[in-house]
Amino acid sequence: MTRLNAEEMVLNMGPQHPSTHGVLRLKLKTDGEIVSHIEPVIGYLHRCFEKHGENIEYQMVTPFTDRCDYLASMNNAHAYAMAVEKLMGIELPERVEYLRIIFAELQRIASHLVAVGTFGLDVGAITPFIYCFRERETILDLFEMASGARLLYNYIWIGGLAHDIPPGFVEKAYEFLDYFDDRVREYNRILTGNKIFIERAADVGVMPPEVAINYGVTGPNLRASGVDHDLRRVQPYSIYDRFDFKTIVGQGEMGTVGDCWDRYYVRVLEMEESAKIVRQALDQLPAEGDVQAAVPKKIRPPKGEIYFRSENPRGELGYYIISDGSNVPFRVKMRSPAFCNLSVINEIGAGWMISDVIAILGSLDIVLGEIDR
Amino acid sequence: MIDAIASWMLQFGALNWLGETGASLVAVALVGITLFIFVAANAIVLVYVERKVSAFMQVRLGPMRVGPMGTLQTVADALKLLVKEDIIPQFADKVLFRVGPWVILISAFVAFAAIPFSPTWVPADMSIGLFYVLSVSSVVVIGIVMSGWASNNKWSLYGAMRSAAQIVSYEIPVGLSLLAAVAVVGTLNLQELIQAQAGVGNLFHWIPIPVPNWFIFNNPFLFIAAFVYLIAATAEVNRTPFDIPEAESELVAGFMTEFSGIRWALFFLSEYANAAVVALLTAIVFLGGWQSPFPDIQGARIGMSVLAVLAIIWTFYVKVKANRLSIYPLAVTVVLAVLAWLFPAFAQWLANPGLLWIAIKGGTIIFMLMWFRWTFPRLRVDQLMYVSWKVLLPLAMINLAGVAIWMWLTGAINLVG
Repeated sequence: MTRLNAEEMVLNMGPQHPSTHGVLRLKLKTDGEIVSHIEPVIGYLHRCFEKHGENIEYQMVTPFTDRCDYLASMNNAHAYAMAVEKLMGIELPERVEYLRIIFAELQRIASHLVAVGTFGLDVGAITPFIYCFRERETILDLFEMASGARLLYNYIWIGGLAHDIPPGFVEKAYEFLDYFDDRVREYNRILTGNKIFIERAADVGVMPPEVAINYGVTGPNLRASGVDHDLRRVQPYSIYDRFDFKTIVGQGEMGTVGDCWDRYYVRVLEMEESAKIVRQALDQLPAEGDVQAAVPKKIRPPKGEIYFRSENPRGELGYYIISDGSNVPFRVKMRSPAFCNLSVINEIGAGWMISDVIAILGSLDIVLGEIDR
Repeated sequence: MIDAIASWMLQFGALNWLGETGASLVAVALVGITLFIFVAANAIVLVYVERKVSAFMQVRLGPMRVGPMGTLQTVADALKLLVKEDIIPQFADKVLFRVGPWVILISAFVAFAAIPFSPTWVPADMSIGLFYVLSVSSVVVIGIVMSGWASNNKWSLYGAMRSAAQIVSYEIPVGLSLLAAVAVVGTLNLQELIQAQAGVGNLFHWIPIPVPNWFIFNNPFLFIAAFVYLIAATAEVNRTPFDIPEAESELVAGFMTEFSGIRWALFFLSEYANAAVVALLTAIVFLGGWQSPFPDIQGARIGMSVLAVLAIIWTFYVKVKANRLSIYPLAVTVVLAVLAWLFPAFAQWLANPGLLWIAIKGGTIIFMLMWFRWTFPRLRVDQLMYVSWKVLLPLAMINLAGVAIWMWLTGAINLVG
C-alpha cells in the first residue's frame, strides 16, 4: 500500500501580498486550508531608525519618527518630543499642549479609520474602506492646513510646534467633528452589524487577556481582550487628565471577549472617544500664545536617560533616550507597539484557516514601518 | 432559428450552391459569431457598468477620462490586454495553462446557445434547454481546476481547489430550485417555460393582487426558490460574497494569479458571460423571460402609472429619511407613464413581448449581483459549504416537495392520470 503524501505545505504569504499591510512575509504551514503554524518574517522595511538616531541631532530625529508609523506620524513625533522635553525639563505653553492633543487625537481617528477600513477589506468588504478613507481625507486636509503635509508632517517640534494653526482651522475642525458624529452609525450599518461580517470576525482569533499581557500586546488589541489599560488614563501624560473620555474595553458582544470583532469594534468606539477629546480641546483652546516660545535654541539635554511611553493608536509607544550631554543622542530606542502586537500572531492565529489568518492579521492593525523601523 | 436562417438563405438563387447542409453550417457559423460578439460586447459593457456602479456606491466617479463619461475605458483596457506580453511561467504545465482559459470561456459561451432572447430569437430551441444550460455551464469548474493546477503556484492551487468544491456544491441547490419551476409546467424547453408565464393573474393564484403570471408569483414555494436560485447562482459564478476562489485579499487573484494579457482577459470575458447566463436564466425561469409584465395597452398604461406612483412615494421617502433628492427614478417613470397614456403605440410596444423585457430583467439581476459584490464581505470556505449543504440544499428540497404538494392541492396536476 502506498502512503498518501500528506505532509504540510509551506505557503509564503508576502512580502508581496495585498493583505499583509505592507511588506510583511508570513510563513504559513498549512494543512489544506488550516494553518498550523505562522512565522512572521520581518525586516523588509528596515531603515536604521535607531542607528540614525545615534548620529544626528535631537531635532533631526523628529522627521524619522514620523516615518516609523506613517499612519500615526503626529503621535510618534508627539511622544518623542515629550520624551526629550521631559529630559530637558521644558515647560510648554498651554496652547501648544492643547494643539498637540488636537493633532494627536485627530491622527488617532485617521489611523483607526485606516484600521477599520482595511479590516473590512481583509474580510472582503470593499465599500466601507472607501468610506473610511473619505473621512480620513478630511482629517488629512486639516493636517495639510496646519503643517503643509498630508502624511509626514514634522509638525510637532521639541518644545513647541512648527507653526501656529492658520486662521479658519478651528472652524474647519468643528465642521469635521459635526460631520464625523454621524459616520460611526454609517459604519455600523454597512459593516459592524452585517451578518457575514459577524460570522467572519466574531469568535475568530480570540486573544485571552493573559496571552495579550504575556506577549506585551498593548493598545486597542489589549483593551479588546478586556484589559482596561490606556496610558492616557492610567498614567496621564501631557494634559490628558483634563479631558472627559471613556476607555473602551472589549465586551464580546458578538462572541468571545478578545475576538477579531472586538478588536475591530474597540477601534470604532475609540474614534468616537477621540472625537470627544478633540471637541473638548477645541473648546478649551487658549486663544493666545506663541507656539514656539518654549522651543530651545540649542537642544542639549543634560547627561542622563529617560524612558517615556505614550498611547499611540497601535498601543504603547516608548522612547528610551540616553543623553551624554551633547547635542546628539547617545541612543534612541523605540519600543514599537505593532512589533509586540505582531508577535502574538502565531499564538492566536495557528489552527485557523487562511482566510482567518488574514482577518486576524488585519484586526491586529500593524504598520510595517514601525515594526522594522 | 438556424433552420429559419438556412431556408432564408436558400431562397436566394445566388446561395443555392450551398445546398441544405452547407446553408445550415453557414447559419450556425453566423449565429455563433453573432453570439460571440454579444458575449464580448456584454463583457465590455458590464465591466464599465460594474466600475460605475461600484464608484457610485463608494462616492466616487469611476472612469471619466477615456471617452464621454469614461465609456471607452474598457475598450482601452481590452486593447491594452491584447498587446500585453503573454507570460507563461517556466514551471507551468504549458498545455493545460493554454487550454484552461479556453475551456472556461467556451463553456460559458455555449450556454448562450439555448437562451431564448425573444419569441422567435433562440439560437437552438432544444427540448432539454434548461438541462443543457446547467450542464455546459458546470464545465467551467474543469477549466478553473486546469488553470489553477497548471499555474504551478500554491495560491492558484488553493483558488482552484476552493472553486471546485464550491461549484460542485452549489450546483445542487441551483438544479433543485430550477427543478421546482420545471415541476409546474413539466418541460425543460426554455421557450415553453416562458410561454407558460404569459398574462396576468392573482398573486399565488389566490391573493387578489394582480401580478404578471411569472413563476416567482406562481406559488409561495417558487417565490422562495427564486431567491435560493439567485443566492446559489451567485456562488456558482464566483461573485462576492461567494468569491472565495479568487478572494482578492486572501489568494491575490486565485486561479488567475499567473495569467496575464489576453489569457487573463478570457477569464474576465467568461466571468461576465457567466454572470449574464445566470441573470438571463433567472429572468427566464422565474421572471417570465421575454414576456412583458403588461397584458395589453391598458395594462401597460396602468402598470406604468403604478410604477410612477411608487417612484413618487420612494422619492418622498428618501427626501424625508435621508434628506436627499433622488430625481431620476421619478423623472423616468413619470415620463414613461405619460408617454404610455399619450401614445397607444408606445403602450402597445411596452405590452409586446420581446428582447426589451428580457434585457431589462437580466440587467436588473446583474445589477443585483453587482450590488451584492460592493456591499457584502466575503464568506469563509467552511461557512460557504455550510450555506450550501445545510441551508440552501434543505430549503431547495423542501421547496421542491412544497411545489409538488401545492400543485396537487390546487388541482393543477392529476395524480391519477
